[in-house]
Amino acid sequence: MIVLGIETSCDETAAAVVDDGRHVLADVVLSQLDEHRPYGGIVPEIAARSHLEHLDQVIAEAMRRARVDFPDLAAVAATGGPGLIGGVMVGVTTAKAIAAVHGKPFVAVNHLEGHALTARLTDGLDFPYLLLLVSGGHCQLLVVEGVGRYRRLGTTIDDAAGEAFDKVAKMLDLDYPGGPAVQRAAEAGNAARFALPRPMKGRRDCDFSFSGLKTAVRMAIEGLGRAPTTEEVADLAASFQEAVADAVADRCARALDTFRAEFPHGAALVVAGGVAANRRLRERLTALAASQGVRLVAPPLALCTDNGAMIAWAGLERFRLGHSDPLDFAPRPRWPLDPAARKARGAGVKA
Amino acid sequence: MIVLGIDSSTSGCSAALWAGGRVLARRLELMARGQAEALMPMIAAVMDEAKLSYRELALIAVTVGPGTFTGIRIGLAAARGIGLAARLPVAGVVTTEALAHAVPAAERTGRTVLAAVDAKRAELFAQIFGPSLEALGPPAARLPETIAAAVPQALTIVGDGGARLAPLLPGAVLSSAPPVPDAAVVAALAAARWRDGTALPPAPLYLRAPDVTLPATGAPA
Repeated sequence: MIVLGIETSCDETAAAVVDDGRHVLADVVLSQLDEHRPYGGIVPEIAARSHLEHLDQVIAEAMRRARVDFPDLAAVAATGGPGLIGGVMVGVTTAKAIAAVHGKPFVAVNHLEGHALTARLTDGLDFPYLLLLVSGGHCQLLVVEGVGRYRRLGTTIDDAAGEAFDKVAKMLDLDYPGGPAVQRAAEAGNAARFALPRPMKGRRDCDFSFSGLKTAVRMAIEGLGRAPTTEEVADLAASFQEAVADAVADRCARALDTFRAEFPHGAALVVAGGVAANRRLRERLTALAASQGVRLVAPPLALCTDNGAMIAWAGLERFRLGHSDPLDFAPRPRWPLDPAARKARGAGVKA
Repeated sequence: MIVLGIDSSTSGCSAALWAGGRVLARRLELMARGQAEALMPMIAAVMDEAKLSYRELALIAVTVGPGTFTGIRIGLAAARGIGLAARLPVAGVVTTEALAHAVPAAERTGRTVLAAVDAKRAELFAQIFGPSLEALGPPAARLPETIAAAVPQALTIVGDGGARLAPLLPGAVLSSAPPVPDAAVVAALAAARWRDGTALPPAPLYLRAPDVTLPATGAPA
């Protein structure tokens, strides 16, 4: 069973081909980073225009590299939301068109489900597992019980983790996107130099908050009374990164307790999303997993950030359980994985 | 030559199959939004009605704008997706030309044709044509008052921008043609230009840069 997956919900134009033997036959990702960088963030209209300009060629390239033709496909999957609606519409419409021409089923995939199921593609992981999804748009802890079965244990009540990295990078006059830039600057820094808060640490729930931490960094900079020196930038970056890793590890420890109380045989913590690339965070989560006797599964970086393979795989998982969507499927700018989860300020906007 | 015509670039949605001057099947609905849901089922419906498979087509024709940015992209994504999957060429048609070419000859005699699209902004997208549908200028984004000041008295208006122009142009006539592009007209226009080698590529004609300004250097976010 071979499935084509299309991802256009943010700033990557991506298409991939996977099969049910967990092989990624092709994975093409075209980043729009250079188009958005001058604005210091993603501009939705620029993203939508760029997706339309490039998507058909990205799909053609993925099909070429996979050495498959459209009639070989079992289904065509595309991100149906959540995300920037202009881009989602381009991907969904293109996928519907390919499906209609070849009489194949169309599968609308929740972008977050793509991230959530990636560990089953890369590591053949069994359900259930605990998922930490940390990216520029999301910060959630979810119990993954099965395809389409998610329970949110916690979410951010304000900014996503990746947003906090971007905003702090801007304050420190570092590059966009902030994640890699802060990590680079932090390498030479002293993480103990600035005493920053660990938001939400010790609380009984599993929620996140990064807004106060961001403000604390701003106040630390203002406290210097002048622009920070290169050394101070490094120390601020390292202190901030350590505070994020510490806070996230604490939230994950709390979620692991809840998860394992309900699923004593649950044995894996999966981390996904672009912020999963952060080395310090990975170190902290590796140590946490080891101390709790669970396995940390972190898919390779290219499959942690947005990509088409995760959409193709989630589409394949849904399709082989009998799910597909009609040609009048309406793209969903908001699409929570766990519709029963209580409302949270930050999560409401993101998912 | 069987051509599939597609439009979702203004406040409507249309799909049609056209061959040698004959319309094999056609759908046209007015809708301000919802084209992402409606367009592909509409295309599938005309294919079913004409009992055609995609491999029997010779060309895909689609409006490229000016119009709503989202609508332009839905039509182009569908057309380019079909083109890729069925290995068919895709030709673009300017939205205002498609509108003007739907105006019956009797409504054009001795008159200038003004095709105007309302993309829900202060400016309308407009283009003017002579009685034989020769373009008298390129399509452009203009305020209704500016358009009204620049057009002759003997005027026929077509397009969903007409409602905002009519009060400013008491001498003008509103065309009986639909206020949104007819995909059969889109297909016919593209077929003629494809034969002449003058067809446009399937690339969007936005006529406006994205609404975004570069941050001032050093300013806080």
